[in-house]
Amino acid sequence: MSNVSLGTMAVSVGVAAAIAGLLVVAAGLAGRRSRWASEARLLVFVMMGAALAAFVVMERALITRDFTVAFVAEHGSSRTPALFNVATLWSALEGSILLWTLILCGYVVAVVVKFRHQAEDRMVGWVLLTLFVVSLFFFLLMLGPADPFIRFDPPVGYDGPGPNPLLQNHILMAFHPPVLYLGYVGFTVPFAFAIGALVTGRVGEGWLLATRRWTVMAWGFLTLGIVLGAWWSYETLGWGGYWAWDPVENASFLPWLTGTAFIHSVMVQERRGMLRVWNLSLVIATFSLTILGTFITRSGVLQSVHAFVESGIGPAILGFFALIVIVSLSLIAWRGDALRSPGRIDSPVSREGAFLANNVLFAVFAFVVLLGTVFPLIVEAIDGRTIAVGNPYFERMTMPVGFVLLFLMAVAPVLPWRKASGEVLSTRLLGPAVIAAVTMVVALLLGARGWSPLLAFGLGGFSGGSALRQVALASRRQGWRGLVGRTNGGMIVHFGVVLIAVAFAASHSYVRQGEFTMVPGDRVEISGHSLSYEGSQLEEHSNRVQRSARVLVDDVKVYEPGIATYPFAGQTIGIPSVRSTWRDDIALSVLQFPEGGNDEVVLRATVQPLIVWLWIGGLVMAFGTVLAVVPGRRRDPLLPASAKVGARTATKPQPESGEDSDAS
Amino acid sequence: MLVAVVSVSSLVFAAIDEGPALTNADRAYEIAKDFACPVCQGQSVAESDVVVSRNIRRQIRVWVDEGRSDGFIREQLVATFGEDIDYTPATEGITSLVWIVPVVASAVALSGLTLVFRRWRLEGELEASEDDEAVVARVRDGQR
Amino acid sequence: MRRDTPRTAVWVVVPIAVALALLVGLLATRDPSSDRAVNGMAVGRVAPLTEGADLDGIWFDLDQHRGQWALVNFFSTTCVPCIDEHPELVRFSERHRAIGDALVVSVAFDDSVANVKAFFAENGGDWPVLTEGVGSLAVAYGVTAVPESYLVAPSGVVAAKLVGGVNADDLDQRIETLLAGVQQ
Repeated sequence: MSNVSLGTMAVSVGVAAAIAGLLVVAAGLAGRRSRWASEARLLVFVMMGAALAAFVVMERALITRDFTVAFVAEHGSSRTPALFNVATLWSALEGSILLWTLILCGYVVAVVVKFRHQAEDRMVGWVLLTLFVVSLFFFLLMLGPADPFIRFDPPVGYDGPGPNPLLQNHILMAFHPPVLYLGYVGFTVPFAFAIGALVTGRVGEGWLLATRRWTVMAWGFLTLGIVLGAWWSYETLGWGGYWAWDPVENASFLPWLTGTAFIHSVMVQERRGMLRVWNLSLVIATFSLTILGTFITRSGVLQSVHAFVESGIGPAILGFFALIVIVSLSLIAWRGDALRSPGRIDSPVSREGAFLANNVLFAVFAFVVLLGTVFPLIVEAIDGRTIAVGNPYFERMTMPVGFVLLFLMAVAPVLPWRKASGEVLSTRLLGPAVIAAVTMVVALLLGARGWSPLLAFGLGGFSGGSALRQVALASRRQGWRGLVGRTNGGMIVHFGVVLIAVAFAASHSYVRQGEFTMVPGDRVEISGHSLSYEGSQLEEHSNRVQRSARVLVDDVKVYEPGIATYPFAGQTIGIPSVRSTWRDDIALSVLQFPEGGNDEVVLRATVQPLIVWLWIGGLVMAFGTVLAVVPGRRRDPLLPASAKVGARTATKPQPESGEDSDAS
Repeated sequence: MLVAVVSVSSLVFAAIDEGPALTNADRAYEIAKDFACPVCQGQSVAESDVVVSRNIRRQIRVWVDEGRSDGFIREQLVATFGEDIDYTPATEGITSLVWIVPVVASAVALSGLTLVFRRWRLEGELEASEDDEAVVARVRDGQR
Repeated sequence: MRRDTPRTAVWVVVPIAVALALLVGLLATRDPSSDRAVNGMAVGRVAPLTEGADLDGIWFDLDQHRGQWALVNFFSTTCVPCIDEHPELVRFSERHRAIGDALVVSVAFDDSVANVKAFFAENGGDWPVLTEGVGSLAVAYGVTAVPESYLVAPSGVVAAKLVGGVNADDLDQRIETLLAGVQQ
């Protein structure tokens, strides 16, 4: 049987299983079917099998270059290197929806396996119902507007154009989309639980405990996905940048912001039983924003460097977004007041007060990003003018929020729950404050100038010191276990955030760029580095013709940025080359090889300090997330929060309340 | 105290001494970053490799070398390429909303929070509710 | 206390719902960004200072040709639509040469003089071609890609911007229409 028929069959089975699952669970919830739980579980496995089959069929078609599949004919090619052949699947719309569906089914399977013992629970029933609806939507996309298995009749000797050249010249492309999708899709599970909680009215802390780890994992994947995406664009677009507040970047950043807010405010609910409705809303907002982000990425309504997959599925996704919003808002309006918790926050200067402030800031941050992203559309709709909102706007608006968040990141971890005295605060913050001051002085001595980067370094040192203090205390008390668990893992994540914040501030404030027209033998200086141009050479690869300039950097090593023409894709792209050290990066890209026979080159060099620390920070954040989901020390629920744990603390001054790692 | 003095003074120092002055090339780059490449999808003039952007970059450099102000350069570019290449939304007319709305929203959120806290404080100390006690009792029972 | 008023959730939800409904409506009614119109800011203004040495070293200044229609054509020797439109430019130029009511001036975009000379030798055409320092000229006109042509009226005002290749008959048509508009 051909790949097209196999694939279409798999997708149809998936649709059928999703519909059947939907009906079975609905009947079960209505009390009309007794064995619904096990039937639903079976149908979930069928659905997973269907998605996996469709995925395997498509990969087989891509690897064997089966051009009778239109997707392969349009995006595959016999000249694409093997690894990118596999990654071609997610380089275009239909395949990326297929990957999305597969990951979604994987999560659904994980849910039914994890909750197999509570399968009869009504809440789990509603969760499954929601998951079936979402899965059905994506399977239907593959049957209709984003059908990956359309038949194509290739002429004799046909060869495809291959994926977009920008998507086949860097290894990161093989990882960035799947990781990002693991994040995006992962938020479906907490969303389903939020819907289940709202419908059943069981918005207590149970559903939170059930989904906490899922959310943190999804968040970790999203973080890593965003950082990998920034890294990819830095390494391949040759612009010397990594983040441009581009609509697609913003689309991935929005759920990250609300998700981060949720991860923090959820602790208030666990600890104090408050903010129930708010937390539900955050989960729902996060999931809705992933769908809205998909719309922005796919519909082509907004301009973006990353919008590689413009298509006609926009209306379907927007409709789905509207459906989610309508259902969720109605549920909240219906249930909201009855579910409000009676608790209250005693003092703004307390852990929960800090979390509340954190949430307000993240909400404002998300609002600014969303407003800035869609604002050109708003203006265009109102008076027909086309305007742009970019870098200067986002930087000016988010910088103050970022500073306050960095400050909070230093203060919040040392704040006890309920109420803090000024004395406690100043004792605990002394160490971090010293680190902050030292950081600033050292930065000054190293030549850092300007108040905003220096403030960023100082606050970075402050919150880094605070995180260090927490981790040090915890590991002194608990040994290696002081590094795992949510609070301690969270502190490692904070380290990553500090690294990124500092690197971001440094690279943005001290970037230098130069454009040089050189002939072989020329030598230029930029920001204390020397660049010598030695000449260019032409190379032919299976999928491209590349002309590279040999540039000797600092008289040490030759780098070879170039320009590549992909004849079959009909595109010419720059191939940048980056020299990285822990101190600074030199990103080289060739703008042009002017005609004229003297081997001239127009070269652009961008020198930015501390760039590597962005990627290291991202990896640290991912690593911290992993530590955070490892179960930490189980705290005896009977002990008061300030109880000493372990013998080693006995010799120490009374450990402060609120510093214990929360059992997770 | 000492810590605060050191921090503040280094901040002030860094703010006053802006370091080496920007060269014309640096200033041209800073300006180019704030304009969208007219034909690309979401890249700035500074980042983009296409010929138009290269020409605009050169022109900005010419203007900078002539000692033109940022405002002059902005006017020229907007006049020839349209408002949609300026990444900074205007602060007058309808586009000013994009600047004002978030500030107003944060102010509202902040004052809302302040109000809630004040009300909470006026209500006095929270006493353990029956629910709370029940929870504690349940946990204690469970432990034994 | 807020929890005593049982409708808080509704009050919060309704404005959010309205805002989101507006957002969805907005997103649903926008055209894809790639379909948006090209910018024609130069049209209706006096043409920028267009002068320079042509391939033979003769100084060209557009202002000295006031009273004639002028087609300022931005092109590059490697761009396919530019090669395609070239015969049309030749036709337009020859048609008006005798009457002397219109001229063509080309601006070679990002190209070497040798290439441009070879291009004209191969494809014909003997009107002035500017090659030096044309970057700022392109910026002044607001050129975003080649080929792009600007029809400058005898008064010196840019009357039309033509993107992606011209057609001699279409140009004549435009001139006639514009003239008719002026005479009324």
